[in-house]
Order: sequence, then C-alpha cells, then structure tokens
Amino acid sequence: MLKLAIYGKGGIGKSTTTGNLAAAFAVLGKRVIQIGCDPKADSTINLLGGTPAVSVMDYMREHDEEPERLDEIAKEGFGGVLCIETGGPTPGLGCAGRGIITTFSLLEDLELFETRDPDVVLYDVLGDVVCGGFAAPIREGYAEDILIVTSGEKMALYAANNICQAVKNFEDRGYASVKGIILNRRNVENEREKVEAFAAERGLPILADIPRSDDIIRFEDEGKTVIEGGPDLPVSRIYLNLARRLLADEEGQKGQDT
Amino acid sequence: MRQVTGLTSTYSSDEFGICSALFELGGLVVMHDASGCNSTYTTHDEPRWYDMDSMVYISAVSEIEAIMGDDDKLIRDVVSAARELKPRFTALIGAPIPYMIGTDLPAVAGIVEEETGIPSIGFPANGMGLYTKGISMALAAVTERFAQGETGRSREPSMNVIGLTPLDFSLNGTAESIWRWAEALGFRRGACMAMGSSLDEISRAGEAHVNLVVSYGGLEAARILERRYGTPWIAGVPFGKAFAERLGQLVLEAAGTGGREMAAYRSVPRAGAAGRDPAPNPARDAARGKESPLLVVGESVYSASFAAAVELELNIPTRVLCPVDTEDVLLREGDRRTPEEDDLIEAFRGAERVAADPLFRQLVPETAEFFDLPHEAFSGRIYDRVNRNMVDVPLDGFIFGGTKAPRGKGPRG
Repeated sequence: MLKLAIYGKGGIGKSTTTGNLAAAFAVLGKRVIQIGCDPKADSTINLLGGTPAVSVMDYMREHDEEPERLDEIAKEGFGGVLCIETGGPTPGLGCAGRGIITTFSLLEDLELFETRDPDVVLYDVLGDVVCGGFAAPIREGYAEDILIVTSGEKMALYAANNICQAVKNFEDRGYASVKGIILNRRNVENEREKVEAFAAERGLPILADIPRSDDIIRFEDEGKTVIEGGPDLPVSRIYLNLARRLLADEEGQKGQDT
Repeated sequence: MRQVTGLTSTYSSDEFGICSALFELGGLVVMHDASGCNSTYTTHDEPRWYDMDSMVYISAVSEIEAIMGDDDKLIRDVVSAARELKPRFTALIGAPIPYMIGTDLPAVAGIVEEETGIPSIGFPANGMGLYTKGISMALAAVTERFAQGETGRSREPSMNVIGLTPLDFSLNGTAESIWRWAEALGFRRGACMAMGSSLDEISRAGEAHVNLVVSYGGLEAARILERRYGTPWIAGVPFGKAFAERLGQLVLEAAGTGGREMAAYRSVPRAGAAGRDPAPNPARDAARGKESPLLVVGESVYSASFAAAVELELNIPTRVLCPVDTEDVLLREGDRRTPEEDDLIEAFRGAERVAADPLFRQLVPETAEFFDLPHEAFSGRIYDRVNRNMVDVPLDGFIFGGTKAPRGKGPRG
C-alpha cells in the first residue's frame, strides 16, 4: 500500500495536487482513498463534482457521537476514489489538530484499511506542521512518505523548510520521511533554480514540475480535477507520470524488501 | 442529556484502569499529566496503595511543556527514573493534556526503550474513557508483549484468571475464592491478570489449559492467548452454587477439548423457562410474584454472572444494565448497555428490585427494593464495610436476608 502525506504552505495548491494525484492513481486502475486533513474540508471537492463530503467533525457536531459506519462519513468520487474529510471546529475555537487525531483513531475503529484494502492512501494536510495533530498523518501506521508542495516563492520555501525540520525532529520515532518536492509553479523569476537549490541542499529530488495552468482552474470551477476534465492535456500527463513514478518506486521498494 | 452525570458518580477512568491492571507487575508506570491524577487514583481507586509497593508516578507536566509539546523532558525523566529503579518495563499513560496536544506516547515509549533497553509501552488513554477500556488495553499489551515464545501446556491442568482487578473485585477475598473454586475443580493456579501474579508468571500464561475471563478487561488478553496458543476462554464469575457448577463444567470441558470460547451465562435459560422448579421457599416465591425483573447494574461479566446465578438458583427473572465498556458476546439476550445516566433513569422507571452500587440509589424509585452491590470503580472505598465477597455469599441469604436498605440509610447514609 502506497501511503503518502502531502504538506506545504497554505494556498500553495496541495489540495489541487492531491486531488489530481488521486484521480491519476484511479485512472491507472488503483483503489484510492484521499483523506483531507484541513478544517476547511475542501480537499476532495473536485473529486466529488463540487459537492463536499460531510466531514467527520461536522458529523460529530451534528450527532454528538461517532459514526458507526464508514458510509456516514465517506463518499466515493471520480474513479471510485473514497473521499474523507476530517473537517474541524468553528474557526477561532477548539483544536483542529486534535480533530485530525480523533478522525484517525475513528477510521482505525471503523477498520477503513481492512475493509477497503486500498492500493493508495493520500493525506492532504493543512499548511505547516503547526502542532502535534498536524504531525498525526506521518506517525507510524499512517503515511510512509511525505511530498512537499512548493513554488519558488520565499514564504512557500520557508514553510517547506519548516516541514523538513519537523520531520527531522521525529527521525528517532519511526515516522514518515520526505520523499521529494512537487514544484507547483507560480511563475516567479528563476523559479526552477530556486526550488532546485532548496531541494539539493536537503538532498531531495523534484518529483514533478507542474506549470501554472488555466485548465486546472477552469475544471476546478466545474468541480472537477483536470485529470477528469482533460485527461490528455499536458498538465494531466504530468500528474499521471508522477503517479506512475510513485507506484514504480513503491514496486522497487517492495522488490528490495523481499 | 448525553455525557452528563448529574445525580450519581462517574466510573474510574481509563488511566486508572491501566494503573490498576499494572500495579503488581513491577513496572515503572507514569501517568503523563499535571499533578492530581495520581492522588485521585491512590485515594479513590487503588486499595492496595498503602499496603503494597508499586512504582506509579505522575509526570507533572507543566503549562509551558504542554504548549511546547516538550516530550524531551518526559523522556529524560522516565529514562533517568528507569535507570535508577530498574523496573521490569515502563508504561507511559496518556491523560487529558497529552490527549489534547496529541502526544504520541507509543513513539515516546519507543525512544525510552531504545535508550534504556527496558521494554516500554505507550498507552493512548485520555482520562475520559472508562476504567474497563484501560484494563483491557493494559492486559492486552502485557500479554502481547510478555506472554510469548514457545511453550507447552502444563502437565497438570491449569487455569489463568484474566481481568481481575480491585476496581471490579475489591480486596474482599473474591480473588482467593475464585482460586479455591478453580482448585476444587482440579486446576493448578496459572497466572492471574493481574492480582497476585508476577510478570514472570504472566509470561508463562500460554501453559494454561483454559482462561477464565472475569471481566470485560480480560477479554482481549484472552483472545490474544487464544490466537497465540489456542487456549480456550470462558467468561464468568463463580457466583452461587448452581452457576458456579455450570461454569465449572464449561471450564473443564474447554480445558479438555480446547475448543470453546464463550460467556458461560449466555446459555443459562431465562428464569421462568420450563424444566426448572427449585424447592419451595416462601420468601422467594413472594419475590417471584413481582412482575418486573431484578435489575443488576455493573460490569458485564460480573453482573451477568450474578444475574445468571440468581436465575438458576432462585428462578427470579433478571436483566443486566451495563454502564461501562463491554461487547455483545459478554451480555445475555435482553441485557442492555446503559452508558448514560439518563439510560439508567429510564430503565429504573417502575423497577421493583435493583442490585447495584449504593450510589445508584438516588436513581431508583423509593418503592423499589435495593440490594447493595458496591463497585470500587464507581464508589471507591465509601462502601467498603458492606462490600462483600459475593462468591462466598449464599444468594438466597443476599436476596432475602435483609441486606437491602431504603434510600438515604446506606452504610454512611
């Protein structure tokens, strides 16, 4: 099972990247689960035709108890991708990080992985690793690899560095490690060079270079990923190639392990 | 109202269930929270505290450590204490503060183990779960970790008792009575999880021919032993003559054939069923004349065993109301889970006879007969004076012997 956590600065395009990657894996015939770990609960919206799933926190707020069945909080989207959103408290109140941990333990109780037997699980995590809850997706048993989405903008690279630092702090705990960088272009000057320098300094590869694309925005307005809307578009091919590469790496890893 | 207890007490928490289950096993047990948890545990939930040494500590996490998520201090303190005290294992127990800030105690325990070489276990408790869950987590973890390796069955038939803690059984001699009952059946004493046995004895739990599960807290550990060694388990507490005999038969069969996992009371027919006609008894017959069943409130295995014993011996109908964690396999058909105080208030409406912890009297109609079944996990030591070893108490003496007391006239009332 390929288990990936996608981190990066707020607004950098994590959900867009994760949703397209999930759709790409699905197009390649894989059983996929995407778990949005963001109080906004909009990670999976483009896999669901623009209609968001009921988040776990919203369910618990409404019912004042945990759901007893997976289908109460999970919805199938494009390509059969199972979409789940942690959601979170009312902005300005409560503890969103705690919401993520609660959701994860609930999904464990509901035997998500055992019943769905997915090939790929994607965790789309809000912004930075700001507290313990936002590190939950990289704990033992969850994601094994981390993909950091960044542009060449200074603050995006700053956030990417914080994420690398947080992961380093956990290296004695058996947590996930950073697999590489996804460059999501904002068309800043010398963007590729800046991100290459950042990646080289940390010994990380750039796994994909995604151009700024009006097609992505156009299909998002229709509640779709670009993979669904235009699978043959150049930008879709980039996501598909990234998905193939990640699967091939996992196969290679499996080969080494055996 | 949900999750509100307005008229009675609350049950002991998951943290204290873990502490209680590990108390005698020689581990360094650390509740990770601000000061206070330890005194609550030792004052209300641990009757062994003043008579038996145990390394139960609190980390006394501070506000700034919580804000900073400073696990390093916890790790340093535990490593330092472990090097000095040389425990058999360390146990790091979650509580409200680490729960809210998301401390990864299993990962922290991994680091402690790496640094000290001492087996270490992190428990994701939060102080909001019930003691039943804590006992279950603790006994399962100890079994998983220590009761392993190749072992054959003991030469003489032997039995483990799993799920025995003072929170459900107090220190009133029940543990010893259960062992005497087992020995009378011809079993050698195996391990007891976890009163009166060492960690070494528990590590040899795979040698036993059968496991007696005496509370929900022991079920998961018994399942691990069943998977690992094929040891069958039977759930039940040998209350009353007839039920103790029935439980004994099932345990002997399971030990002989090695293939039975069940709660012994589930096969007991409900009172009033054809084929059972106990000897005449005027007091009992008057009690049988009542329309509603005797409601037994408490932990599932204890209460359902007690209820089955009453039905078998006295032919009085019963229903169990279980306010704590359990599974359907540990309840009889017709028994209910009552996790909320409101559930109990509803269930007690119109009740004529209730056997429960005396603190539940407040919820029971004044016209009902009330039989005191003090439960340490609920009322602590308040009712120690009337907290009797029910394995040795004749059931008709209990039900008809005048131990009942009207509301407000309890032992300390």
